[in-house]
Amino acid sequence: MNTQFKQETFRDDYTYTNSAEAIRRFPFPFAEDEYMYSVNIEMHGEGTGAAGSVFEHGIDVDEHYIAECEDRRIVLDEDPDRYTALPHMMDAQWDMVELMMDSLSKDYPEHFQLQKDGDNWHWVNKPLGIDQTFVFGDEATLPMQPFEYISRQVQGDWIILDQRDDDLFADMGMVTSQADWSMAFDAGMSFKEWHGPVPQANEIGIFDRALKYLLHLQYGSPVRRLNWTMTINPRLDTSPENYPFWGPDNASVTPENVGDKVYLRVELQALFRLPRSNAIAFSVRGYLISLNELITYPRWGKRLHRVLKQLHPDLSEYKGLDNYRQTVIDFLAPLDDGADLGLGTHPE
Amino acid sequence: MSILNVKVADVEQVTDVVKHFTLVQENGEPLPHFSGGSHVVVSMNINGRIHRNPYSLMGSTANTDSYHISVRKQENSRGGSVFMHEQVKPGSRLQITYPVNLFAISKMGRRHILIAGGIGITPFMSQIADLNRLGYDYELHYAYRSPENAAFREQLEAMCGNRVHFYVESEGGRLDIPDLLSHQPLGTHVYICGPDPMVKALHINARELGWPENHVHSEEFTAPPIGDEFKVQLKQSGVELVVPGDMSMLEAMEEAGIDAPFLCRGGACGRCEQQVLECDGVIMHNDHYLSDAEKASGNSIMPCVSRAKCSRLVLDF
Amino acid sequence: MERGYWIRSKPLYDSLVWRQFATGHVVVAQGDGGLAVLKLFQQMCPREPIKLLFADDKSASKKYADIIQTLVPEGLQICESEQAALAALKEQLPDCLMGTQFYVAGSEEFIWAVLEVLKEYGVQDNNVAKELCGTLARSVYCVHCKTISKDVHFSIHECDGCRRHLFVRDHFSRRLGAYMGVMVDAEEPGNIPAKEEIYP
Repeated sequence: MNTQFKQETFRDDYTYTNSAEAIRRFPFPFAEDEYMYSVNIEMHGEGTGAAGSVFEHGIDVDEHYIAECEDRRIVLDEDPDRYTALPHMMDAQWDMVELMMDSLSKDYPEHFQLQKDGDNWHWVNKPLGIDQTFVFGDEATLPMQPFEYISRQVQGDWIILDQRDDDLFADMGMVTSQADWSMAFDAGMSFKEWHGPVPQANEIGIFDRALKYLLHLQYGSPVRRLNWTMTINPRLDTSPENYPFWGPDNASVTPENVGDKVYLRVELQALFRLPRSNAIAFSVRGYLISLNELITYPRWGKRLHRVLKQLHPDLSEYKGLDNYRQTVIDFLAPLDDGADLGLGTHPE
Repeated sequence: MSILNVKVADVEQVTDVVKHFTLVQENGEPLPHFSGGSHVVVSMNINGRIHRNPYSLMGSTANTDSYHISVRKQENSRGGSVFMHEQVKPGSRLQITYPVNLFAISKMGRRHILIAGGIGITPFMSQIADLNRLGYDYELHYAYRSPENAAFREQLEAMCGNRVHFYVESEGGRLDIPDLLSHQPLGTHVYICGPDPMVKALHINARELGWPENHVHSEEFTAPPIGDEFKVQLKQSGVELVVPGDMSMLEAMEEAGIDAPFLCRGGACGRCEQQVLECDGVIMHNDHYLSDAEKASGNSIMPCVSRAKCSRLVLDF
Repeated sequence: MERGYWIRSKPLYDSLVWRQFATGHVVVAQGDGGLAVLKLFQQMCPREPIKLLFADDKSASKKYADIIQTLVPEGLQICESEQAALAALKEQLPDCLMGTQFYVAGSEEFIWAVLEVLKEYGVQDNNVAKELCGTLARSVYCVHCKTISKDVHFSIHECDGCRRHLFVRDHFSRRLGAYMGVMVDAEEPGNIPAKEEIYP
C-alpha cells in the first residue's frame, strides 16, 4: 500500500478532507433502510476483510494517520487525563505494545519496522520519525508508560478492560476522539455502569448477551462491529470535557452549509483478547465523511436519507442529532428517487 | 475458533498415574503468550472419533517456546486420558485451542491463598509463575494422597520457597480449610482446584465465615459423564441426531457436522449454552455454570457435559 | 445528548441488616446515619464482636450520639467529626480479618469516603452494606474543569470551579464518588433552565 499521509486539521480551520480512495473505502454502516441498535458482531483481523478495505488489517492505518496522531498530541497536551491507566494494568500495557507494534510492522512494513532480539526491541515508525530501542517489560527504557507511548502512535481510541468477577472494567484507556463520554470519569467502571446511557438496549438484554460473549472472547480471534453517529465539522475531539467548545456548532447547521458541515461518523469497534493480562482491548476507530463526500455515491445518499427519516426519536436524541437531523433529511431528500437499494453497504 | 498444530516434544512420567507432556508448535514458532491459570483444549482422534479434553497450562508464562500440560490417567473415563497416556509419544501430533483463562488471579486482591488437591495443582503451576513475577503476596497449600503422588513437589519448593505447604494424607497430613480461612487479612482471595468434595467444602466454609463470593475462586472441569442414549432435534439447523451413551451431546453435534460453540468443554464457562425448547423427560445437568434455579427451570443446557433422560429434546439451534 | 435517560451506574442503597455469616462487624455512621444505627441495633444482635464508629454532624436533623451511647454498650467509639471517624476506621482495618462485615450509613458523600478507605484494604463496595440517610445531596464532578462540588441540592448547579451551569446526570463514578455534571447551555449559550431542588 502506498499511502500519502495528509497534512490536515481536525480543529480550528478544519482542513480535513477524504481523497476519492478514502471515500470509496469508507465503512458505510447501513445495509438496510431501517436502523436498529444491535450488537452485530463479526470476526476481525487477518483474512476477514477485502484487500484495501478498512477491515483488511487488525489495525487500519490510512491517509489521516499523521494528522490524527498530531490531534491526539494536542489533546493530551491540554488534558493529560485523557490517558488513564490504573496500577494493576501493567501487564496489559505491555500486551498493547506487542499487539500494536506486531500488527503495524507486519501489515505496513514500508512504514513501521520492529526487530526483536529476545526482550531487546527496536521500533521504527517512519511517518512519525520515531526510532526507539527498549527492553520489553522494562518501563524505564521508554520515555513514558508503555501503553501511552504506543497508543500515541495509532489512530482511534483504545479502552482496555480488565476481566474479573464475570465482568469487564474500563481500567485503562487512551481516549482523545470520543463521541461524548469521558475516560477520566468512567475509569474503573464495570461494563454495565459504562454502557448505562444507551437507550432501549438495556431493556432488551443486549448488554447481558454482549457481556457474556465478550467474557469468552478468545486470544487469536478478535471481533468487530460498527457503530455510528453524526458530528458537526470534522472534529475528532467531541468529548464532554470540551463540549463547551464544540457544542455551539450543533446549532450552526443551515440548509446552505449542511453538505460541508455535517459529517457521518462511523466507529469501527474491534475487540482483542490480550494474552498476558487476560484483559480485552476495545478499539474505537472513528471515520469521518462529509455529506457532500458521501453523496458522491448516490446509493449511500439515498440510504442515509431513509435511515435518518425512520430513526427512533430516542436514538436521535441519544446521538445528539435533534438540532440538525431535519436539515440533513431535507438536504438528502431530493437525491432519493425511492428506488429499491437492496441489502448491503457497498457504494455502487 | 483458532487452532494450533503442535507436536509432542517430550513425555515424562511424573508419578504412577501422571504424565507431563511438552508441546511445541509444528511450524517451529513460539506458542502464544498466556496468563497464569489458562487452559487449552486438546483434540485427540481416538479410533476415528474426536475427543476434546481441557488441560491447564503449567509452565512459566514468560517462556512460550513450549507448552506444558499434565494428564492424570482416569481408568474409568471415556478414554481421553488413557489415550494421552498410552498412545501419545514424543513426535505425536495434536491440535490444541488457543489458551483460555477461566481461573485468573484477581488483580485487586491484596493476598492470594491457593489450595490444590492432587492433580488440581496444574493450573497453579502457571499462576505461581505470574504471582512471583508480579511480586504478589501468596501461599500455596497442596494436599495429596501419598508420597508417591507428590507430583511437582521439588519444582514447587524451588518456585515458592517457604510459601508452599504440603499435606500428605497417608502420613496423617490434613489441610484444615476453616482454620486457614479464619485468620486471613482483609483483601485476601482464595483459589481452589481439586476433587469436587474439596471444592464444595471450601465454598461452604468460606460462606459460613462471611467471605464475599467474589473472593472465592474455583476451577473444576467435569469430564462428560456416560449415560443413556437420547435423541436431539436442532430446530434452526433442521437436524436430528442421536447422542450415544458414551458420547457427550456436544461431541454428537460435532460428529454430525454442526459447528457448535464451545470453550472449556468441562461445564465451567457457559460458552456452549443452548436454549431448550422442548424436553419430554429430565435434563441431567452436570455443569458448574448454571445456577440451581436455572437448572430447575430447564430452559438451557450445557451440551459439553449435560445430558437428558428423555425420548425427545429440542434445542433452539 | 445529556438529558433524560436512566443510567445504570447510579448506586443502590438499602436498609442496614446484620449479616448472618461473619467473623466480626464494623459499623461506620455519620449524622442522620444515626437513625440507621438505631434501627440496626433494634434487630437481634449477632454473636460476633461489633465495632461501631459514629460521628454527629452539625447539619443533620438530629443529634444521635447520646441515645446511641445508651443503646450500644460495647465497641462504641464516638468520633468528633467525619474525618475522625474515617481515621478511626483506618486504625481498625489492619486488624480486621476476612469475614468482617462492613456497614455504612450517612450522606452519600460520607458513604463513598468510607468506601474509599475500605478499598485500600481490598474491600469492594459491592460487598459493603450501605444506607443513605438524611440528605440526598450529591457530589458533582464537573467534566469540564474536574472540580467536585460537594453538597449539591439543585440541578442546575453552578460549578464551584469554573462557574459553568451544570446539568447533573444520573451517571455515577464509584472511583470519584460523584455524579457527572455537564454544561447545560453549551449548544445555546445563556439558555439555562431554572434550577430546581431535586436532591433535598
